[in-house]
Amino acid sequence: MSTPSPFLQPSSAACPDALAILHLKRDLLTPTVLRTYDDEQLGYAEGKVTTTRYGNYPHSTLIAQPWGSQIRASLVDTGTRGRVGLHLGSGKKRKREPSSRNQRDGSPPVERSIEPGPEHTTSPELKSTKPPIPAPTGFCHILPPTPEIWTASLPHRTQVVYTPDYSYILQRLRVTPGTTLIEAGAGSGSFTHAAARAVFDGYPKDAATLSHDQSTQELPTAPLRTGRVWSFDFHEQRVQKLAAEIQEHGLEGIVTATHRDVYQDGFALDGPSSNPTINASAVFLDLPAPWMALRHLTRHPLSPLNPLVSVHLCTFSPCIEQVQRTVSALRSLGWLEIEMVELSSHRIEVRRERVGLQEEGLRGVNASPATLEEALGRLREVEGRDRSYHHGMTSQTQGEDLADEATGEYVSKQQRLQHIRDAQADRKLYNEGRLVHRSEPELKTHTSYLVFAILPRAWTDDDERKAHEWLGAAPVKESNGAIVPKSKRQMKREAKEQAGSSKDVEMDDE
Amino acid sequence: MQPELVWPGVHVVLRLPSGSHSVHEIKPNTTISVGKYGSFQSNFLIGRPYHYTYEIIDQVDGSPPSGLRIVPPAELYADIKDEEPSKPVDLEEGEQADINGKEVPAQFEIVDQKGEVLLRTNRDIVDDARSQTMTMEEIEMLKAEGKGSGRDLIAKILDSHSALDQKTAFALAKYTLRKTKKYLRRFTVLPMDVPLLTRWMMTEKDALKTMELREETLALVGSWSNVHFMPSQLEEHPKQPGNIGQGRWLMVDETGGLLVAAAAERLGILHPPNEQENRPLATHPNRPFDVQPTGDMQLTPENPPDSQPKSNKRRFSIAKSNTITIVHANSQPNLSLLRYFNFDAANPAPSHPLSHHLRTLSWLQLLHPEDDNACTEPENIAPEVIQTWKSGKRSNHYRKRRRWERTVAVVSDTRLGNFDGLVVVSSLSLPPVLHHLVPLLHGAAQVVVYSPSIEPLVELADFYSTQRRVAYLNDPPAPEAMPTVDFPVNPTLLLAPTVQTISCRPWQVLPGRTHPLMTGKGGSEGYVFTATRVLPAEGGVEARGISKKRKDKLEDVGRDESESRREKVVKAKDEEIMDS
Repeated sequence: MSTPSPFLQPSSAACPDALAILHLKRDLLTPTVLRTYDDEQLGYAEGKVTTTRYGNYPHSTLIAQPWGSQIRASLVDTGTRGRVGLHLGSGKKRKREPSSRNQRDGSPPVERSIEPGPEHTTSPELKSTKPPIPAPTGFCHILPPTPEIWTASLPHRTQVVYTPDYSYILQRLRVTPGTTLIEAGAGSGSFTHAAARAVFDGYPKDAATLSHDQSTQELPTAPLRTGRVWSFDFHEQRVQKLAAEIQEHGLEGIVTATHRDVYQDGFALDGPSSNPTINASAVFLDLPAPWMALRHLTRHPLSPLNPLVSVHLCTFSPCIEQVQRTVSALRSLGWLEIEMVELSSHRIEVRRERVGLQEEGLRGVNASPATLEEALGRLREVEGRDRSYHHGMTSQTQGEDLADEATGEYVSKQQRLQHIRDAQADRKLYNEGRLVHRSEPELKTHTSYLVFAILPRAWTDDDERKAHEWLGAAPVKESNGAIVPKSKRQMKREAKEQAGSSKDVEMDDE
Repeated sequence: MQPELVWPGVHVVLRLPSGSHSVHEIKPNTTISVGKYGSFQSNFLIGRPYHYTYEIIDQVDGSPPSGLRIVPPAELYADIKDEEPSKPVDLEEGEQADINGKEVPAQFEIVDQKGEVLLRTNRDIVDDARSQTMTMEEIEMLKAEGKGSGRDLIAKILDSHSALDQKTAFALAKYTLRKTKKYLRRFTVLPMDVPLLTRWMMTEKDALKTMELREETLALVGSWSNVHFMPSQLEEHPKQPGNIGQGRWLMVDETGGLLVAAAAERLGILHPPNEQENRPLATHPNRPFDVQPTGDMQLTPENPPDSQPKSNKRRFSIAKSNTITIVHANSQPNLSLLRYFNFDAANPAPSHPLSHHLRTLSWLQLLHPEDDNACTEPENIAPEVIQTWKSGKRSNHYRKRRRWERTVAVVSDTRLGNFDGLVVVSSLSLPPVLHHLVPLLHGAAQVVVYSPSIEPLVELADFYSTQRRVAYLNDPPAPEAMPTVDFPVNPTLLLAPTVQTISCRPWQVLPGRTHPLMTGKGGSEGYVFTATRVLPAEGGVEARGISKKRKDKLEDVGRDESESRREKVVKAKDEEIMDS
């Protein structure tokens, strides 16, 4: 592990060769791996450049910026480069999505250099990059990836488990640092990333360094780093892509992606290993037929489940028939606490709703009368105009709004709209109108049904007998205390009593 | 981590047949009472596994004291007639063939051969209390005899119901379930953890104390806050005192400590360490009780494994990473719910990880430390003078100085900022809270605010709206004038403010009777505001729209950008953002 994962432990600033997210606007996020060189041979004079609808961002302007910084777009000559691309044969296509392509097919950057540009030399060292020129407009924010941001920006391979679902699932599965989790049906990897964050209790090699830090001595990390995600999928290409992603995101010590048909082959690990079973205490099945995988998740000697603890399970199925079948299978296999829930979540739009005649001709507002008085005024105005038209009068109409009071001249609609537009600059529009909220326009009304169940540890008559012998039924003494962590004061008092001499203890403690 | 077995000193939740929960601290050699369902000795639960349903076995004259029996799952599900109860799951035909397909066609026969059962209706049933021939007294007498688990009693009640055969299958199941809830002497043992505590507080205990925070909303808050374990970084950055990547989280918690508990659970510091490992009992699956007890003292508090006095001479120890900093409105934080995890905030046990990872300071200490008594240094007295004092006065003096040192350290560290995230669950007016706390975050830190009702969050989102941000950038008020009426918060500091909500609907899944539950808990739905702390570029930046004209011009790396055209473009993007 060279660098810590940007998901789990972002560096203090954007650093090369790490995944970063360019936040262009709400719901428009572009993931890109920051490079000091043009790893995709796109031929920009500035080195690697991420091109977006809101400007072009050479990576030299992104690297070493603190996370969350607002970044100005740069002027990038895409035209000349385009001709170079044409020369190579596929330049036009690559121009569109240079950054995300690398992640989608997941191949390491080395393999991409099979098309060396004749004008632009391939080795990054030799290439002299042009210093970027700031563009007059355009900006983005550079963010470190989090599972939430990644879920919003990841390349879709299958249906994605979104944030509201995975947050609830991970909580219900009682996934905390140190948990070992099985995920079958890895799909696009959104749940995988969230699960990796939840189980994370240190990197494999960090045990030695951790012990140097006094403050972490209390944490159960150093020798017992157990947080792992075992991810399975029966689609080979998806597994390969996920594995490449995990590598790129620095999660390889935490997530293991395996190509496996778990219906047939279960969850046993490949090959002879010092760690023969997975020892999972949480299972997430995002499979079309979860009941077919359940037979591998029982309390048998080679079970992938942790034999010492209750195992929490969640299945994620869109159809009620799948749920019924799963629940029936769970009951026959002795799972307890079976519960099925459905989550619904939505975002809420907050906006200022401006209504009134003063909004006429402006965008995004309702230019109908806001009050009855306004409506009456407008009606009188129209009536007055009609009357004056019929009576052949040219000025001094009854509609006062219609006439400019100073000059008494008739105001045309065009003039009125111009007045409104001019007045807009002085108005505090952000404080006007009524503050309203409503659901986002497109709702996810159904994601999937979530079935939860718990398989407690096996408990034999022998275990019960031992437990009984060990503790027995002692005579009831109500006053007996329990083992709870003692307070400092209490411990001190006890130490005093033991030592007999209070002074020594007192001094030691100070 | 999952607890392995029920151990003394922990809190467990017993779910009763009625569906209600009761919370008990497990102490050895005591009696635990579960109301009308009876009582049992704690020793019968200690060292036993979680999540099973236990049945209270009554004492028969002369026999050893009453015990508990684990009810096998098959017995629990005996009344549920699944479609294929006898067929093993793995031998079903037709499925194996189609394992690679996306969807295995399910063959459900909701209306099956037992047609006459399903056709039965309740048209002939006359509601009559006399259908039940057993009287109240008779039932009470049977209960008083107290033999068996209550199952016999229920059987007798069912037997003596004269119109039982008229009931539809579903009505019979309902009737049985109702009697079961009333008389069956069973309970299910669940470990106390944050989700269960949240559910219990919300549905049974006192929802207002936890600001009606629901289980699913808490999960959403947890995910968006990005609270997670961070290993202490090896390389030190001396330039940045509160280094990014240390896992420092700033919180305002008015849920009695529920939020702190949730964050601590996500950081792995909620439960005392080695709760399992240091127990005198080996926990091999097959031989859980290898170590023989020595007399009946083995579980008394004299030798608790996790409170071994350490030769710890540090005056106070504050962890540097994975810390939670609480800003509280009263002079003491209310963290009373942490007692279910054996943590007493007023008198923290040094063996509990939270005592090192939890820091608390009041709003006064954060904003005006000079006005706070705890932040003023107590008189420093020469050691020679102290030596002459009586021990009580001396320790009092040292205690005061320790408290002062700790307070000052916490306050100065908090004021340095650079926190990794902010979570606010508070009934305080939100804009001033965010005005003071958002600047303490480093770039890209997440801000999450929960509110039981939507209005405070709508108002907050409006204060961070794009329109207001543009207005702020065009005519920024003087920094010392902030907060102003128009700008109660600096709208440029947060990116993509979003308000969302989540709700969870439980279902009943029974053969032929699958539907959402008929009733649920109302009250607050619970709303979550999320945003990202950002660092605005100095000197202001202009937005760019997508204009076809503009795109063409950009090709020649133009330097002839006229001001007017730029303005047009700015408007284009602004409007687009507003629409989004």
